[in-house]
Amino acid sequence: MSRFCGTVRDKMQWRNVFPLVILLCVLVSACSITPLAASSSKSGPITVQLFYHSGQEAERAALSTTLQTFNDSHPNIHVEAVQLPEGNYIDQVNVAALSHSLPCLLDFDGPTLYRYAWSGYLVPLDNYVPSQMRNDFLPSILQQGTYNQHLYSLGQYDSGLGFYANKQYLRAAGVRIPTIDSPWTLSEFNRILASLKQRAGLQYPLELNMNGGNEWFTYGFSPFVESFGGDLINRRTYQSAKGKLNGSDAVAAMTWFQNLFKQGYSDPWPVSDTDFTSGRAALDWGGHWLYAANQQALGNNLLVLPAPNLGKGMKTGMGSWSWGITSSCKTPDAAWQVLNFILSSSEITRMTNANGAVPARKSVIAQSQLYAPKGPLHVFALQLLRGIAEPRPITPAYPIITSAFSEAVIDIVDGFNVKKELDIAAQKIDQDIQDNEGYPTQ
Amino acid sequence: MNLPFRATKNTSAKIALRNRKEPYLAWAFVLPALSLLLIFLVIPFLLAIYFSLTNQRLAPDPLPTSFLGFSNYTRMLTDDTLRRALFNNSIYGIVVVSVETGLALFLALLLNQKLRGMSFFRAIYFSPVVTPLAVISVVWAFLYNPGQGLINAFLQAISFGHLGPYTWLDNANLALPAIMLLSIWQGVGLYMIIYLAGLQNIPPALYESARVDGAGRWQQLRYITLPQLRNTTFFVMIATTVQAFKLYTQVEVMTQGGPGNATVTVIWYMVNQSIHHLHVGYASAIAVVFFLIVLIRIIPILRYVVATEKREV
Repeated sequence: MSRFCGTVRDKMQWRNVFPLVILLCVLVSACSITPLAASSSKSGPITVQLFYHSGQEAERAALSTTLQTFNDSHPNIHVEAVQLPEGNYIDQVNVAALSHSLPCLLDFDGPTLYRYAWSGYLVPLDNYVPSQMRNDFLPSILQQGTYNQHLYSLGQYDSGLGFYANKQYLRAAGVRIPTIDSPWTLSEFNRILASLKQRAGLQYPLELNMNGGNEWFTYGFSPFVESFGGDLINRRTYQSAKGKLNGSDAVAAMTWFQNLFKQGYSDPWPVSDTDFTSGRAALDWGGHWLYAANQQALGNNLLVLPAPNLGKGMKTGMGSWSWGITSSCKTPDAAWQVLNFILSSSEITRMTNANGAVPARKSVIAQSQLYAPKGPLHVFALQLLRGIAEPRPITPAYPIITSAFSEAVIDIVDGFNVKKELDIAAQKIDQDIQDNEGYPTQ
Repeated sequence: MNLPFRATKNTSAKIALRNRKEPYLAWAFVLPALSLLLIFLVIPFLLAIYFSLTNQRLAPDPLPTSFLGFSNYTRMLTDDTLRRALFNNSIYGIVVVSVETGLALFLALLLNQKLRGMSFFRAIYFSPVVTPLAVISVVWAFLYNPGQGLINAFLQAISFGHLGPYTWLDNANLALPAIMLLSIWQGVGLYMIIYLAGLQNIPPALYESARVDGAGRWQQLRYITLPQLRNTTFFVMIATTVQAFKLYTQVEVMTQGGPGNATVTVIWYMVNQSIHHLHVGYASAIAVVFFLIVLIRIIPILRYVVATEKREV
């Protein structure tokens, strides 16, 4: 240092830098003032901050009504809700976690939970949830919310995935209407597609919602892989995707999937996902969120059908947005009061009436117009109750799994070599698991 | 009577005071810009260098961030996707820089005439520049659509059905050229305006004396216009080169690097690694190396500019 500070001229330069140093100090100290979230020590109502994704308009409105009702009936707790855009919600939560500014309550898309739980950002809910309440939730909701033997998360609703069908076209092609007890088999489904294309004269009989985004590719198409007997990762150890994601079953599944496009059964590059609603497609593989639009377009002509059995059993998707309490929360008891209110039957009813999703509690399903035994979407509830729905991999490696798989799907649809693409995806996943020392649990 | 004397005394005192204050004053003026640069550019870059030597994750807990030495850098050597990204950036740079510069000059020459309605054409060519790139990418994704896109329909119409339909963005050979085409279309207006400004700065006397000496139009272009536009050309080339290195939005919106890495670019891959794959350490290593590559590419151009300016002075 003496070499640099020694001469008078150098000292003068240091003096000149001085204001800059002061300014920097001011800036740094200004940044380190703690945010408002921790102001619980003050008297007055406890503030519970929550982040949620701004989804559909109706969903947003339902949640704000719920929170408003809670604020009105609980003068000692004040809920402060922060809406974040859905498109990069996960990125924003990750960044908030990195900068230690997570709120008390957080909603997240189902499978991203495991990363948060593994990282220690969430507290288990085991001690909060009474067993009576627990037993009322769908098994799929509990399965999705559990990581490392602890329940970390509960949601207001689950999702349903299956076929929407145009009754008229099915009749024209002489197609058997499947039930949950006798679903379409692989060869039957292939025959159906062929005859829909020829006999009903449809250019693309099957709509696969290719504009659905990357998470849709994993949510919507991994059940095909699983129904063929493959999987995204070896679920026994969650240490490797090799041999599963690029194993013979998965390769067979994705080859079949690629052929759906090669044989012209489905449009690989639609401008928009409207083939089914506009009557150009006979089948629509999609989630419960499409029901309202499909019902409006087809009316009585619409059928809702269960997932196919492509060889190794029926498989379909599950999971949706759910809530957790963060470990940085200073007032977890107050946060649970808020969450408990959000998860009450009346509020679940309010939300699922708004967004049409499968209610998370069996008691609400029984009352639901859509999902009760006579309801048009009952089959989705049955798929969840009977364990046909498979959770997406329960591992903190999920972000990389979904990203690797959806990248492979895009290339496979574009006609690239299936085995090679799945090899690359498996390699990416294994590399990530290795980089994270196998995601050890405490 | 003694007013001037007092004034001089006063002034010299002021000057002395100003001389003493000058360094502080200069710092005060420099400070806002400098602190912003420091906070948003220098410090993050130093952090990136540090992160590149670690296995920093986006969500860091519960595993400790550990020091890896240069293993992020050695991993880059065997990363096929990164190699493809560098290749794509180079091809994109070579094509877009040369075509965009040439086309901008050509358009500027066309529009640098005293005809009616010129400002209308200038506005038309400039309008893509003021449109957000994300919007343009979405619109062009529709134009490129294999089934219902306008571009295929146009090609089929003018070729009487012999050309197409092409699956532009889903074809490994066509996806990158498709992105190049849209990028050139989007950017050329800006550089055209810069060339127009350059053209209007050329003294008309030069052309007059050239005509007196009997130079034709081609000779005027070759010996007056182009040499006079040299600095403008350097500026345009640096700007388009930097723009080519930064290619991201179009890829993110239109292709996500696909099909089969055909359109993956370094910046896109970096963002993908850090945000989606949570590998901040590895992405930082890519950033550091990419910074060096850009530096190596830009420095010769800058040095050449400085050298020619010195010669002219």
